[in-house]
Amino acid sequence: MGSERYSFSLTTFSPSGKLVQIEYALAAVASGAPSIGIKAANGVVLATENKHKSILYEEHALHKVEAITDHIGMVYSGMGPDYRQLVKRARKMAQQYYLVYGERIRTCQLVQRVAAVMQEYTQSGGVRPFGVSLLICGWDEDKPALYQCDPSGAYFAWKATAMGKNFVNGKTFLEKRYSEDLEVDDAVHTAILTLKESFEGQITADNIEVGICDSTGFRALDSATVKDYLANIP
Amino acid sequence: MVDFTKDDFGREIKLKFDHGTTTLGFCYDNGVVLAVDSRATGGKFIGSQSMKKIVEINKFLLGTMAGGAADCVYWDRVLAKQCRMYELRNKERISTAAASKLMANMAYSYKGMGLSMGMMITGWDKRGPSLYYVDSEGNRVKGNAFSVGSGSVYALGVLDSGLRANLTDEEAYELGRRAIYHATFRDSYSGGIIRVYHMKSTGWERISEEDCKDLHYKYENENPK
Amino acid sequence: MFHQNKKQETTEIAYNGGAVVAMKGKDCVAIAADRRFGVNQGQTVATDFDKVFEMGPQLYCGLPGLATDTLTVRDRLKFRLNLYELREGRKMSPNVFCSMLSNLLYERRFGPYFVEPVVAGLKPKTYEPFVCNMDLIGCMNEPEDFVVGGTCSDQLYGMCEALWEPDLSPDDLFETISQALVNACDRDAISGWGATVHIIQNNGKIDMFGEAAYSCVLRPLSLQPAGEKDKITTRNVKTRMD
Repeated sequence: MGSERYSFSLTTFSPSGKLVQIEYALAAVASGAPSIGIKAANGVVLATENKHKSILYEEHALHKVEAITDHIGMVYSGMGPDYRQLVKRARKMAQQYYLVYGERIRTCQLVQRVAAVMQEYTQSGGVRPFGVSLLICGWDEDKPALYQCDPSGAYFAWKATAMGKNFVNGKTFLEKRYSEDLEVDDAVHTAILTLKESFEGQITADNIEVGICDSTGFRALDSATVKDYLANIP
Repeated sequence: MVDFTKDDFGREIKLKFDHGTTTLGFCYDNGVVLAVDSRATGGKFIGSQSMKKIVEINKFLLGTMAGGAADCVYWDRVLAKQCRMYELRNKERISTAAASKLMANMAYSYKGMGLSMGMMITGWDKRGPSLYYVDSEGNRVKGNAFSVGSGSVYALGVLDSGLRANLTDEEAYELGRRAIYHATFRDSYSGGIIRVYHMKSTGWERISEEDCKDLHYKYENENPK
Repeated sequence: MFHQNKKQETTEIAYNGGAVVAMKGKDCVAIAADRRFGVNQGQTVATDFDKVFEMGPQLYCGLPGLATDTLTVRDRLKFRLNLYELREGRKMSPNVFCSMLSNLLYERRFGPYFVEPVVAGLKPKTYEPFVCNMDLIGCMNEPEDFVVGGTCSDQLYGMCEALWEPDLSPDDLFETISQALVNACDRDAISGWGATVHIIQNNGKIDMFGEAAYSCVLRPLSLQPAGEKDKITTRNVKTRMD
């Protein structure tokens, strides 16, 4: 990665003890499109905004919600190109694990490994930190899992959380709405409502994306299904 | 002469014989003691645990076998025939020296053709007891104590440390037995039953045939670690 | 001059000699190995050489073959196993262990470790018996009855085919595997000189592979419930010593 000429780390301490590069990366995340993750009793939901600036844009051709394995999915807030790099790495690591152990990787294991990659980019020469935060959801044995990975390499386990633009409001909204015995359908509903809180313009099946992970595995919802969910929202 | 140890391309042919064996023989005041194991191997496979490696040529002649089993058995049979012929022609028993020389001469005439034998021939004649080593290379050596086979190194270690001329019979049998036993323990290709023979002035006598397994646990109890 | 033993060509896998066998029973498994350590095929230099190693509370791995590789593979397996258990905060199941071992061996595809692994254990949660063996480059075989490895595998297959039957009780399984091993070794010059048999049973009390042990949350392994040791029966069997 690092070329020979710029093999020093770009992420260095400021005199006050902060790594400003990481703070800038977090700023990039905070100004990115919002994404929501909610853990329900029988699954997990990921949702994000996918708004287009032009009517000429081809919807549903490119996705922000991506499957990593059959049972793990991922979404992001921040910079798209950085995200694609991490998706690629995550998929590789999951397959490598399966190759070695003959067993699918647990979500927390994948999260640890992805976070390790992100951390590496805060300490290596000639590279900058990733400008994304990730939401990784999965289904392990008989339990749902939801984690957030930050550019610093820090990771968190959530019952529900919001990232990106207006994440503070999103979290406050979720805190009020969340309950432990939520079903997946309710969680999708809540996720869309949370997006709606800060949504500029009309929310449609064409400008949001939803992914669900349950005992059957992970899948990104098609726009028809999203439309059905939207129909129940005032 | 045709070279049977090389193939058409001049490469050495590996003859796979059951070399695994331990045999020994030694002289003392009361005659000669022979002790042998009974294992036959082909490579690492154990083909038999009950081979008779001491051949009773006649009442006053014994031979031991090591090397190719078929070679030993066949040439011992030929030797037995020759010895009987000598007896019929001369009306007296063949001497141990002459019998061993017959064997050595037969082996020598086939030298280089792939015979594999290492035998001891012992007997009691007019001149008393004697012990000879004869092999397929053509060697014929008279001696006091020999051990032949893959386990011979281990057997000699025990034999040499305990051998005296004035051993009692029981001491002599036990020395031979112990020497073979220790060889069967260390050498994978030796084992099975340990047979002990005694060559006396009255002819040979079979002293004992004991399973290595029983001997091991007997010795272990006598000498706990 | 009097030495009749010509130097024989020896392959690495049969240089030191040794045999391992594992069998399924009813709610139990057994794994057994001989104790010989020889050199140059013929010379027996030790009769207390273990070829079966404990890899978990209900997981054992036998590594017959070249003795130096037995020890190296055992150490490298333990290395990877320890890292896995620390990383994941849980014990390794027999299936995962075999996949890992298979991978370890295939990494040396063109310069292999000369071992023929045999694995025996109980599967997590169900306590279903598990046996598996593989060749020296990691091709796995997971049959329903028994697995063998080492220099007398032909003889072991013969004995196992004759003696094994389904749903053996732990005591019957002990008798069966002991007889199979001892009699197979009696027809192999370079195996034997004592034998060790392990019988692995479900202790039925503490759920070694249960919710806690399989939890995703990292916690020190020492805090995890320990299996009852007395449900692993290890016995040394007397054999011929020649």
